Amino acid sequence: MEREQLDVDILIVGAGPAGLSAALRLAQLQRAGGGEPLSIAVLEKAREAGAHLLSGAVLDPVALRELVPDFAERGAPLDAPVARDRVYLLTGAGRLPLPFTPPPLRNHGNYIISLSRFSRWLAGLAEAEGIDLFFGFAASEVLLDGDRVVGVRTGDRGIGRGGEPRATFEPGVDVRAKVTIFADGVRGNLTKQLCRRLPLMRDRDPQTFAIGLKELWEVQPDRVPPGTVIHTLGYPLRHDEFGGGFIYGMSGGQAAVGFVAGLDYEDPAFDPHAAFQRFKTHPLVSDLLRGGRMVRYGAKALPESGWYSIPQLFMDGGLIAGDAGAFLNSFRLKGIHLAMKTGMLAAEAAYDAVRAGDTSAARLESYSRAIDASFVRAELYPVRNVHQSFAWGLTAGLAYSALALVSGGWWFRRLRTEAGHERMRRLRTPPPPGAAVAPRDAVRPDRALTFDRLTNVHYSGTRHEEDQPSHLLVHTEVCHTICGEEYGHPCTRFCPAQVYEIVPSGDGTSRLQINASNCVHCKTCDIMDPYQVITWVPPEGGGGPQYDGM
Amino acid sequence: MILVVAEQRGGRLSRASWETVAAAQAIAGSDPVVVAVPAAAPGNPAAEMAAASVAEVLALAHPALETYTADGYVQALSALVGERNPSLVLLPHTYQTRDFAPALAARLERALITDCTGLRREGDRVVFSRSLFQGKLAADVVAEGAAPHIASIQIGAFRADAAVRGDAPAPVRQVAAEVDPARIRQQPEEPFQETKAAVDLSQAERIVAVGRGIKGQEHLQLAGQLAKAFGAELAASRPICDAGWVPMERQIGSSGQTVAPRLYVAVGISGAIQHVVGIKGARTIVAINKDPEAPIFEVADYGIVGDLFEVVPAIIEALNAS
Repeated sequence: MEREQLDVDILIVGAGPAGLSAALRLAQLQRAGGGEPLSIAVLEKAREAGAHLLSGAVLDPVALRELVPDFAERGAPLDAPVARDRVYLLTGAGRLPLPFTPPPLRNHGNYIISLSRFSRWLAGLAEAEGIDLFFGFAASEVLLDGDRVVGVRTGDRGIGRGGEPRATFEPGVDVRAKVTIFADGVRGNLTKQLCRRLPLMRDRDPQTFAIGLKELWEVQPDRVPPGTVIHTLGYPLRHDEFGGGFIYGMSGGQAAVGFVAGLDYEDPAFDPHAAFQRFKTHPLVSDLLRGGRMVRYGAKALPESGWYSIPQLFMDGGLIAGDAGAFLNSFRLKGIHLAMKTGMLAAEAAYDAVRAGDTSAARLESYSRAIDASFVRAELYPVRNVHQSFAWGLTAGLAYSALALVSGGWWFRRLRTEAGHERMRRLRTPPPPGAAVAPRDAVRPDRALTFDRLTNVHYSGTRHEEDQPSHLLVHTEVCHTICGEEYGHPCTRFCPAQVYEIVPSGDGTSRLQINASNCVHCKTCDIMDPYQVITWVPPEGGGGPQYDGM
Repeated sequence: MILVVAEQRGGRLSRASWETVAAAQAIAGSDPVVVAVPAAAPGNPAAEMAAASVAEVLALAHPALETYTADGYVQALSALVGERNPSLVLLPHTYQTRDFAPALAARLERALITDCTGLRREGDRVVFSRSLFQGKLAADVVAEGAAPHIASIQIGAFRADAAVRGDAPAPVRQVAAEVDPARIRQQPEEPFQETKAAVDLSQAERIVAVGRGIKGQEHLQLAGQLAKAFGAELAASRPICDAGWVPMERQIGSSGQTVAPRLYVAVGISGAIQHVVGIKGARTIVAINKDPEAPIFEVADYGIVGDLFEVVPAIIEALNAS
């Protein structure tokens, strides 16, 4: 097949905070260094900047200050400076405010932002610097020449549901680059391929993740003043489950309300969406939201496992940055600044390597050394065991966290993790044939405070070309044989967008139906499926959620 | 003067053209409304359009307009607009309009506002409404720059039968379109339909739609019989099309078609918001569902709580008896 080819010097995959910071840093280096300008391209599967980006989010501006020192003059959309911090331990109906806000959760000097808006602004800066941003193009495959990364292939367009080319068929483009920076986000599909094909996870712990679900609300005036930051622990999670809720007050009468649940829970009946809806019925939350209106919804996984699970970040012709490299401080609940900083450092390493005419792994290793010398390691290394300690339960996790604060993260040994899906336990009693496992904590949606999945999905704005093959590759034999008995089809619960449904097949049995076009690209199924038979691949470029203000 | 550009294919006016006339009449006030019908032989559709209460119908004829091309339409319409100098140009937001309207606006160097759901006068300005975020938000838009502003009207936003008919036919004037065939770069091939059964549901007057409540593919014929009894098109919600029981081009909702029939019968459809946004323009919605709590009853004008396998045969029998 005839494929177009595009040759660039440096290719960045993903226009999130890491990829865009890399792009902007490259433009700055180019301007300072002069000489023949390098060709730089950014690929992004969303149809416009920020459309697939979702975060809480509280931004530590440390990297922004370095990247765009005059960010205030240039109109950075920093929604509200954090004015007050609260942490509550929730019980069924009660709340216990922590007597003081633990230092890692103190947010003085930080800003509440919408990551989708913030990144749209960054993309504007990059475009103004002359960087080519290609929106609506999903990178579907890494191009390798032996062990050397030589670029990526974008997804074909116009493939019909049955795999046949439609009238609009266009084959994907091979984008070849001297250095490719993989900033494809949490559980990035290309970074996942790289980690399979190259020994990048040698001596590393498996990565573990959480899922974050979020709604944007228009709230009654003064109910959640701008700058309010509330975090909760406990209800409706069990003691052995990692996670909690958040409420952030934004300008314009908006509030971000969300819930994070560790994707290492044991109970197969656990349902993160139900837990989120249940969380909103707690008086602490419902009092704040009463009389308001939900205007947006979304979900995204986040890397939680920290320092020991960061892959080898450099290879011949390639670098990994941001969430794709598991750069998130789960102790501070922050990762945007780390994504930005690693993107900037990756840009510097790539720029030097291309200018020197040597893009080998040995040369690009300077990136890892730069990370070790930066605030990234200084911030992540002391908390290297914190997330792992929560595997012992909330109390032990909090106790260890307190110890880590004073000891610089010391412990008798390195705490090991296992992949989150391996922790899911089998059902004690399989459901009777034809019956479904009831999601835990389910609430009856009132469509004012609480919502069913499908209604929520509508508010994500997600859309896909309908006539295309499913972008969720599932080996369904397992689904139709042992999964019902062993785990009761947990995909129908952990997916926040009702992609997976068990429906009657007409002959008395049931089958898995995949509503791929509901997908909000959170990657939870790829992560949490206990048999690991689900592979998320990018759908036709441009498809996916349409986040604005998330 | 407000210029409406009607759309015809094979001599047949689209219903959306009438909807756009209704939109123009709604805002015209004392401004005259003129309808242009571009075609190779616009006689019949122009005569049909003359039934509307408008100042004049222009039969904009040129042999090169026999089959639609973007260049041909842009040439013909830019010349007409230049000559007539209307205050506003309104088009139905059809696939064809989507194809040529941006080029027309660029040629004329005028603002283009697409897919408007409403329009109103505020002082001497016209304020257009557009929906954003799949109908969640409505934005008011005012065009800047010199008149005429060009706007396309969403299918179903106005009702075709709301277009006021005149007491006497409006005058039809033959106008030779200024088209230079040598400057038409597109060479259209024979039109084809992706599947034999392809229909444009947005133009259907009556629709029977089935949802998951139908349970099995073998029961679809029941819905088919109901559609036949009503003289309606058969459509479906997404799960049914996903399962391949009904072709995808008959899917209604945010990922399918948006429809505005006079009668919409929802059979075994729960009424998820994704479906309901596709039927906002329907005049009368009848819902049959066994779950009294189903959200479809919130938008239905008539709701029947009951087992569709009992209700539907009874309706078919009643319709066939009458």
